[in-house]
Amino acid sequence: MDDLLADFIAETREMLEATGGELVAWEADPADRARLDAVFRFVHTVKGNCGFFDFPRLAALSHAAEDALADLRAGRREASAALVSAVLAIIDRIAAMVDAIEAGQDFGADDDAVLIAALGAEDAESDFAHDPAPLLPEQMLAKRGEPAPALAAPRTIRLPVELLDRVMSGVSDMVLARNDLAHRLRESGTQPTIDGPFERLTAILSDVRDAITRMRMQRIETLFGALPRLVRDLSAELGKQVLIDLEGGNVELDREMIETIRDPLTHIIRNAIDHGIEAPAARRAAGKREIGMLTLSAHQSGNTIAIVVSDDGRGLDEAKIAAKAIATGLITEAEGAAMSRDKILQLIFEPGFSTADSISNVSGRGVGLDVVRQNLEKVGGSIAVSSQPGVGTLFTLTIPLTLSIIAGLTVEVAGQRFAVPQGYIEEIIEADAARLDYAQMGERALITFRGERVPCLLLADVLGLPAPDMRIGTHTLALLRLASGDLFALCVERIHSHGDLVVKPLAPAVMKCGLYAGSALLDDGQPVLLLDVTRIAAEHGLLSEARSRTMRGAEKEARAQATHTARAMLFTAIDGRRAAIRLELVQRIETIPASAVDLSLAQPRAVIDGLILPLAGFGDAPLARPKLRLLRLSDGASELLYAVGDVEDAVELPAELTPVPGDPLVEGLMLQGGRPVAVLSGHALFAAHGRPAEPAERPACLLPDTEWARAILAPLVEEAGYQVVSEDSAKAPGAVSIMMEDLYEVASHLGQLPAGPVIRLRDHPDAPTGSPSIYRYDREGLAKALKAAAGGRA
Amino acid sequence: MSALVLMAQIAGRRCAMAAEDVRSVIDLGVIAPVPRAPAFIAGITALRSQTLTVIDCRLALGLEAASLYPTDTRAAVVATGGHSYALMVDAIEDIATSLGEPGHIPGGFGAEWQRAATGMIETGIGPALLLDLRPLIAGPLAGARTNRAAA
Repeated sequence: MDDLLADFIAETREMLEATGGELVAWEADPADRARLDAVFRFVHTVKGNCGFFDFPRLAALSHAAEDALADLRAGRREASAALVSAVLAIIDRIAAMVDAIEAGQDFGADDDAVLIAALGAEDAESDFAHDPAPLLPEQMLAKRGEPAPALAAPRTIRLPVELLDRVMSGVSDMVLARNDLAHRLRESGTQPTIDGPFERLTAILSDVRDAITRMRMQRIETLFGALPRLVRDLSAELGKQVLIDLEGGNVELDREMIETIRDPLTHIIRNAIDHGIEAPAARRAAGKREIGMLTLSAHQSGNTIAIVVSDDGRGLDEAKIAAKAIATGLITEAEGAAMSRDKILQLIFEPGFSTADSISNVSGRGVGLDVVRQNLEKVGGSIAVSSQPGVGTLFTLTIPLTLSIIAGLTVEVAGQRFAVPQGYIEEIIEADAARLDYAQMGERALITFRGERVPCLLLADVLGLPAPDMRIGTHTLALLRLASGDLFALCVERIHSHGDLVVKPLAPAVMKCGLYAGSALLDDGQPVLLLDVTRIAAEHGLLSEARSRTMRGAEKEARAQATHTARAMLFTAIDGRRAAIRLELVQRIETIPASAVDLSLAQPRAVIDGLILPLAGFGDAPLARPKLRLLRLSDGASELLYAVGDVEDAVELPAELTPVPGDPLVEGLMLQGGRPVAVLSGHALFAAHGRPAEPAERPACLLPDTEWARAILAPLVEEAGYQVVSEDSAKAPGAVSIMMEDLYEVASHLGQLPAGPVIRLRDHPDAPTGSPSIYRYDREGLAKALKAAAGGRA
Repeated sequence: MSALVLMAQIAGRRCAMAAEDVRSVIDLGVIAPVPRAPAFIAGITALRSQTLTVIDCRLALGLEAASLYPTDTRAAVVATGGHSYALMVDAIEDIATSLGEPGHIPGGFGAEWQRAATGMIETGIGPALLLDLRPLIAGPLAGARTNRAAA
């Protein structure tokens, strides 16, 4: 709370400083709309913020000033000198109060009512006019600058971003200077007296560089962290029940960017709780859960970071928005009639727009949304809203990736390097035209990847550089998966290292090429351009609509059945040798803890999904790792597990394998990357180890006979190692039963409780005191109870 | 008015840039070309940890055949619109003091030069054309391209 308070004070101060100039200008020309808006925004924000803290006097003052300014904005009142003075006096008072709050003192003067009353005065003859003239901002600042003896020491320091930038670029320069020095040292041969300290310098520098980079970057978590509290307080104030769900907190953003979106996000959340989510009674009536859900998710997609805020409230009322927009003169009636629903919804971001019927203490007059959009657009972002009446509203904030750090890969083509965001890369393959099944269909090139025809772009073609002939030699292809799910191959000449890239914006003329998303510096100080993968794909028509995508999925399935080539799974065995096994035999790749493996018997075994399966591929190697990767093989009737070190890839099997006489476990050899790889004989494997799976002893669990239990509870119970049995099947002795609390009560009254242990579930999160029941979505509690029940039984 | 200007040769003509617009003069290192960018963008280069867009001033003025002129290994770094640029010229000559306001001459300087020039100034080492950096950096076809983007 102290942190929040410190933030509040710092923010109010900053705004006061920024508003200082506006105040003077507004005093000079009270009709100036832009100044008025700025002053209004200030008091509005103060009002909103002090709602979270218990500052009734601040809230009353700012609310009064806001009302008066709102009247001015709406044209219900003319600006008079008296009114301007009264507003300025209130702002001075706010500044003084904030000082007092920080010092932890009570604010003495108790004439707020006089200040508020002055707002109502119509002309210069008000009582207030006899009071000393309000302080001008300059004086105000001077007054604030006076050392207040009781002032608490600052807990944090705020640094100008420019300073951080300077430090950061200074360190980057140091790295470059180091690289230069390293180069020269290499040229002059080994010099032990210099090399030692130089190594140390290198290590220190890379530490400092890491730290500096992190200084600018912040996980979005830091922003999300304050939200649950905000939501809790707001919903309590408004008499609503709201749960917040946060996703993607690990997305990293430039610190400055986080600061930029902090207020917009807060505004949107306030709006969602105030206007979006209905009161519990209304929700019940609409057939929804009483508790409203507010979901925030952040994800990086391509060159932007999208933050989606969705609620399951009443949704936006298109007709009401249109009517309001017409009433406020934003659009004409004819325009409104011609606009699509989507267009109309976006009107809520227009300045001076609001749909709230009653003005509450929380989200006010919709001043937020136009400012929200303004702030986002300032940093090159955008905001859009979509909504379904009765179902909910979804705000999508997109912010550019500039200044963000992304993991990237550098590729080379025609002697030039370019960077590709790692997130797109599905796989990298190196093969010749025959293996790729390269085909030229008109202007479009296709390759075959895992039985699927994938469009292929030559990066050299895309960039207008001399392109290699695909039919000759081997090629390196990066398979890129777009956010839309489309896959395409990008042929490059070489792939270089990958690493974290600090993406910087490009000059407009370069951006206009439509190929690049930014630039980055490689470790050697060489600049590279970051490819805008999504745009390149779109330019070449590789971005599909959702509908055509599902169609293509069906086609793909049909084709996969039609072209049935033998394929094998390539892997590194536990002993480090590379081997392959026919793909048809591989059911799944599993990872199990070493504790699930039993090597004590002549035939090693492992437990997986409650089944005990024979384990092959182990040889004499000791069980060195905590987790084991396994191929789960099946011949249709029986299953076995094959331990592997690393799974590499699925490859096509040549028509004929080179036979290996004398080794019955190997079907033959194939060439892979110029080296022989043994293809294991499935026949020999299953002959030696295969047998139908023995079910591990799994305790039975009886579930309530409801849809919820079948769909939601059952997977959880099975995961805990139970076998779900239905009520009418033979009741296993000692089976654990899960019952809903109300049914349990009925059963216990009737004396028909099941014999085995019973786990009781309740509908409500809060337990009546002393109740042994578990809330039905308390996953952890449930898992614990299931474990305890299994232990008790054994 | 007397102000410092940076004197340079562009396409064999003497030009001047206001010294306060010029952040530094650097030795051009490796320039990474930008495929599919307009010709006047020679590429990008790194100035310490910053990325600079390298503008070939001859081509930015719409003058063909930049290869007819020598190119200085040094470039003037300027910043406008939040981005930094390195201006590639024939030669960077000197710093001089401009004497008096930029003036015009009858008949103008020729269409392309007119677009990118503020006017003629007199300096201690003779007359020079004072350049306006914004239109220069926007490139020769800037007008046409903006229109297309808007359409």
